[in-house]
Amino acid sequence: MAVIRDVMPAFDLLQPASAADAQKLMEQHGAGAWVMAGGMDSLDWLKDRIKKPRVLVDLSGVDELKGVRVTSDGVEIGATTTLTEIANHPQIQKNYGILAQAVSLVASPQIRNQGTLGGNVSQDVRCWYYRSGWPCYRASGNLCFADTPVGRNREHAIFGGNRCVAVHPSDSVPALIVLDAKFVVQTPKGERVIDAEDFFVGPEDDITHINVLQPGDLLTAIRIPSTWAGAKFYFEKVRDRNVWDFPLVNVASAIRLSGGNIDQIRIAVNAVSPRPMRLKAVEAAVRGRPADPDTGEMAGKLAVQGAVPLQFNAYKIPLMRNLVKRAIAGVAQPETNGALAMSAGAQEATCRS
Amino acid sequence: MADTAQESAIKAEQQKPLPFGAGHKLIGHDYTTPDQMAKVMGRAKYAEDFRAEGMLFCRLLLSPMPHARVRHIDASRALAMPGVKAVLTADDIPAQADFLNDNGQTIKANKWGERALTNEPMFQGDPILAVAAVDELTCAEAIEKIEVDLEPLPFVVDPLVSLRPGGPNPRATGNVWTRGSTGEEITELKWTEDDFAEYKQGRLPMGKPTSEWSYGDLDAGFRDAALVLDESFVTPDVSHQCLEARTAMAYWQNGKLYLHTGTQSTYQTVPAIARWMNMRTDQVVLISEYTGGGFGSKVTGTVIMIVPAILSRKLNAPVMMRISREEEHFIGRARPSVLGRAKIAFAKDGRIMALDYYTVCDSGGYENNDNGASSARIVSLLYQPPAMRWRGVSVMTNTPTRSAQSAPGGLQGITIIEPILAKAARKLGVDQVALRRVNSPEGKAEYGPPSHGKRPHVTSCFLRQALDQGAQQFKWQERLARPRRIGSKARGVGVSLSCYVGGTIGFDGLIVITPEGRVRFQSGIGNLGTEAVMDVHRAGAEVLGVPWELCDVAWGDTSKHLPYTCASGGSQTTHAMTRAAYAVAMATKQRLQEIAAKSLGGKPEDYEVGNARVFRKGGGAGMSFAEAAKKAIEMGGIYDGHQAPDDVHKATKDAVTALAGQGLVVAARDKAPRDGDTYSYVASFAEVEVDLETGKYFITDFLAYGDVGTVVHPHSLGGQMLGRSTLGIAHAIGQKWVYDPEYGAPVAMRFYQNKPPTILDVPVNMQWGALNIPDPETPVGARGVGEPPVGGGCASILNALSDAVGDDIFERAPVYADTILTSYEAGRPMQHPLMASI
Amino acid sequence: MPQLIQWATSPWGQKVPIHIAWGLMWIALIAGLSFMIAHSLYLAIVKPAKRFAERRAEAAAAAVPERVQRHSLAARMFHWIMAAAMLTLLFTAFLPKAGVHFNWVLYHWIAGLVLTASILFHIVHATFFMDFWSIWPDRIDRRDAMNRVRRFFGKAAPPPARFAKYPLENKLYHGVILLSGLAVIATGLFMMKRVPTGIFTRNPYLFSDMTWGLMYVLHGLAGVGLIALVMVHIYMGVRPEKFPITKSMIFGWMSRDFYLEEHDTGRWAVKAPADSQTEQGYAASDGD
Repeated sequence: MAVIRDVMPAFDLLQPASAADAQKLMEQHGAGAWVMAGGMDSLDWLKDRIKKPRVLVDLSGVDELKGVRVTSDGVEIGATTTLTEIANHPQIQKNYGILAQAVSLVASPQIRNQGTLGGNVSQDVRCWYYRSGWPCYRASGNLCFADTPVGRNREHAIFGGNRCVAVHPSDSVPALIVLDAKFVVQTPKGERVIDAEDFFVGPEDDITHINVLQPGDLLTAIRIPSTWAGAKFYFEKVRDRNVWDFPLVNVASAIRLSGGNIDQIRIAVNAVSPRPMRLKAVEAAVRGRPADPDTGEMAGKLAVQGAVPLQFNAYKIPLMRNLVKRAIAGVAQPETNGALAMSAGAQEATCRS
Repeated sequence: MADTAQESAIKAEQQKPLPFGAGHKLIGHDYTTPDQMAKVMGRAKYAEDFRAEGMLFCRLLLSPMPHARVRHIDASRALAMPGVKAVLTADDIPAQADFLNDNGQTIKANKWGERALTNEPMFQGDPILAVAAVDELTCAEAIEKIEVDLEPLPFVVDPLVSLRPGGPNPRATGNVWTRGSTGEEITELKWTEDDFAEYKQGRLPMGKPTSEWSYGDLDAGFRDAALVLDESFVTPDVSHQCLEARTAMAYWQNGKLYLHTGTQSTYQTVPAIARWMNMRTDQVVLISEYTGGGFGSKVTGTVIMIVPAILSRKLNAPVMMRISREEEHFIGRARPSVLGRAKIAFAKDGRIMALDYYTVCDSGGYENNDNGASSARIVSLLYQPPAMRWRGVSVMTNTPTRSAQSAPGGLQGITIIEPILAKAARKLGVDQVALRRVNSPEGKAEYGPPSHGKRPHVTSCFLRQALDQGAQQFKWQERLARPRRIGSKARGVGVSLSCYVGGTIGFDGLIVITPEGRVRFQSGIGNLGTEAVMDVHRAGAEVLGVPWELCDVAWGDTSKHLPYTCASGGSQTTHAMTRAAYAVAMATKQRLQEIAAKSLGGKPEDYEVGNARVFRKGGGAGMSFAEAAKKAIEMGGIYDGHQAPDDVHKATKDAVTALAGQGLVVAARDKAPRDGDTYSYVASFAEVEVDLETGKYFITDFLAYGDVGTVVHPHSLGGQMLGRSTLGIAHAIGQKWVYDPEYGAPVAMRFYQNKPPTILDVPVNMQWGALNIPDPETPVGARGVGEPPVGGGCASILNALSDAVGDDIFERAPVYADTILTSYEAGRPMQHPLMASI
Repeated sequence: MPQLIQWATSPWGQKVPIHIAWGLMWIALIAGLSFMIAHSLYLAIVKPAKRFAERRAEAAAAAVPERVQRHSLAARMFHWIMAAAMLTLLFTAFLPKAGVHFNWVLYHWIAGLVLTASILFHIVHATFFMDFWSIWPDRIDRRDAMNRVRRFFGKAAPPPARFAKYPLENKLYHGVILLSGLAVIATGLFMMKRVPTGIFTRNPYLFSDMTWGLMYVLHGLAGVGLIALVMVHIYMGVRPEKFPITKSMIFGWMSRDFYLEEHDTGRWAVKAPADSQTEQGYAASDGD
């Protein structure tokens, strides 16, 4: 059978108006249904004819999944709220600035206008072999094309590469992990609320899935508790291009200081492993220490212990080390990082204005 | 010649920059081009926007293998599907016709040339067949039902792998291009293990070359040098990635082919279509009013566009072939990577004394594209080494077809040499600008190898002034004095010289002055986005003294009867066609004077032309252009086109004949003399800021300052200066190919993977300037500008980076954060230096 | 017809096998269960009569000790290590396919190495330190097998002799296990080049896509085959009439009675332990 790309296959388009209907349709069609929110991940798969679902459940008409609601304990963000809306939401900017910052660095303005938070956290990996439709492990095949003696793996994993060495590409996820976000999932058996870091699945456990969602499960909202509201935050994303690019590595931290020392901390990185990483060892090691460069240095070194580079991605080790360092030391000196050049986000914002 | 060159250099130094438009009413002034509103408002119709009654669609089946032979195609299941109309294979493609060039010579069809469809795919993505059906979904579903039995053949995607002892050949006959008695041939060349001794150290192996030339005393230059550097550098393969893919729609009427497509050239594309279709040119009508970019990949379109034409003939229905972004990646052409190594001798002041240059060019799967050879000529011009040797190999690989891309060879040569100059300046303690200044060409500078005992020279060069003006505008000295390092951030500034060809001669202009009094310029130039299609005719309007509001331009459709025009490639249009516009405007002026004299008495020279009138000098009788046009129709013969001039091209004569009777119809050939070859020059400046903890860098400032002759249209010149600089910057900061060598397959095919630069990757306030010194060898003084800024765009960024992070951090472009971070930490280059497409 | 092989399109657009269709796992499971049910029902309903020929050399039985030594400690250790490895391999291979997700590859290849080592040991041990031929069917087995089949179908045939050390079923089972075991081991060892183990540098390009695909299919077919084989083996091991054999694999000996009931003292000559040796060291043959 010959292969052709860039022609969307035929499918039945289902456009439910409520979350319950959407969930029912997904349950009814099971693995044959493709769920689409903003379409920023879906359309690639469909246009490439790599995924050919029988039905497509389009969530864009489900109003109850949209919007940010302020609750008694933080905020609840509907799964199909656009990234632009989240970035501009005053309550999120005020209390959970790290999320506003993280989503404002996703892709490009056009993609943020269309892309949703639910989509950003649920998106599939971007390994170019996998995305080219090659029969790799993640595609139910029997090898990893990226981790071979000649594989091109500059953007791949340094941690957790169990057969598959793709990385999780989301920018919003590390911010959500440090904010201790809860993912609300409607399943055929009822509602499940999952901690952000437990939402994701590594290839060692399930190589063909990137998260816990099963056919029939619908991510409806992400709740951010007030636990970390107003904490000191740090987020940085390093990418090749200043817009419309996935992270080479990103880092997020939330810190509460007590007398200049770190009292509470959560820190997470992404794009280094198939599963977003919360650095619990680092959190434990820096608690009680001052948020300064020395602690940062120590944390950075600890963070990259056990990293296994591939042929072309050894740079991710010093990059992650330095970003973790900044995520600890940078919270106290927010200006250091922008002393000379405008950060990518600032530059993008300047251009938008 | 040397004396003359020196003399002209002194004269050139004395030339002063002029304000844009000085002494002109139209030339050098901004205006709204006739096509602009349609483009901005979305009304412009590109090939893909056309529809025709009963139109079918077609899609391509691409080779999944990098090199294979089609053993069998079973399309029966596809053809049995409702809505599927036809399957076209390589067997349906006509043999290419031989080609009669403008000098009347017959050029044999290239036996190695790429055809629209093939039974021996030479790269993954090479089109094997096309399916026509009622819609694209049916085409796609039909293609998935076709069984193509392919026999895999040996392949190679890395030129150095092919040159290794026992390395695979991309074709059965060999791996390198050589010139044989019957033209270019593919022969086998393998180097020795000894040649590869320093491969791992990143030093380009220099085995037996297939081409070489030299001039001057190389040994003396190296003997007397204060500093000798020997460096290798690799430039990337970069796809053209035109915004408009090479879509085409075709239909036939009364035996004539009507083809809609995007192409760089209008007039010149017709002979190409005729050659590929094995038809006469008068059987082809090309419609291409708007083209979404070409950059050298669509000089005369591409061969794939005959697929809908053949299907349309077969099915007797219009056929649209929309090319997808994926297909464009394969058939959309690319700049070849050049692996270069140069050993350069410098005097104490930084002057180059000798330059020994070696290149390996990856020419792809079809036709020779030795950008190494062209890079050597540019290097010899731009840095004026008194002694130089070039040796090179052009290697075939099983990768997509290469073609010219803005400054082919120019970009690569400049990118390979400039980092060595930057390093030399640092080692010698010479200012970077000063080092460029002593090596810069000037006046009628010589370049390249001697031909018949004499080296060619250029028409003019004022690059030193451009360098001086640029350094001043960029505040070079001030920037040097600023702090270089704050915290983890390092700042660096870079400068680069740049140049490329800027014009040809000998084409025709064609003007119609209508009885309504309007002046219509028949433009055979392609509308590829540079605005030359309109701009050059301002030179004609200027000569006629006619307000632009009374002028029209007929363009983009060969049924409108267009004159013999240059191809819009090689940055030749502005130069060549302002000359043709000037020539035809002067001839029109002469005709108007003759009409006035014949109608109103007196001699032609008693009359002046201006303000859409021809009138007696010093006042008195005159007539409007409208009246003159009516008179011309009455007079017939040479006045209304019934008699075409003898000295114009046959195509122009045909156009004149077709337009006969519409008014005053005048054609003329550009016969103005020219001493030297036309080149344009740019001095490029850049500043970068590098985050040493992440390797990430930002370009904080950029300036391109041009010596491009007379400025015709400042807005479009600015667009070219900065747009083409950005194309060069793309090579420095990110655009690339990534190939998996095991399967010979590209893996970075989406924009987010192959990373063309975005608007946010260049500084918000990019600057440009131009000298506006007329070239003395062309009547209007204008030279082409498309390609000259490209090399400087790339090299100035690389030089700024090495200024910030030091030498020996990177040995190839593009330079990403990862290279800087790991190499800076290790204090030595940490990237695979010579491996292709990583 | 259920699909046997899962196919994929290679990067070169070629149809290549990547592994077995996982549905075969359920078929193997059902086959194993069906056998157990059918066999149990057969024994329960048909109640087949004793099948052996009359023992002729009663004198020989007198020499048989109360505890007949059947499996040495080394042999038993091998069996149970191999069994643990095999079960680990089966569970780690197929539980994830059934939807139970865990880091299976790690345990799978480690168990695979244990299995390989134990099999290697067994080959050496069995070849040089045990009665190598005792596990392979001999002429009498073949003759008796024919007779048993004839008798099963109600045709006249002499009753079969008692077994040698291993019943024919056991020997055949060993043969099948040997084949499938070697198949999974050989393919599995190559497959370790495809997964990160820290032992080899990953290199999936040792063979062509097609060769690899066939290797995966062979591994998978042998794997699902082992599901059924192991199920049947365990079932037999826990059947009451076979339990003395299982016990002997735990404790090393079987009772004199069971030995005399099932085994031919001539085909499997039992040596009495030193402290209880009779004047006649070996039981005389009652075979021919």
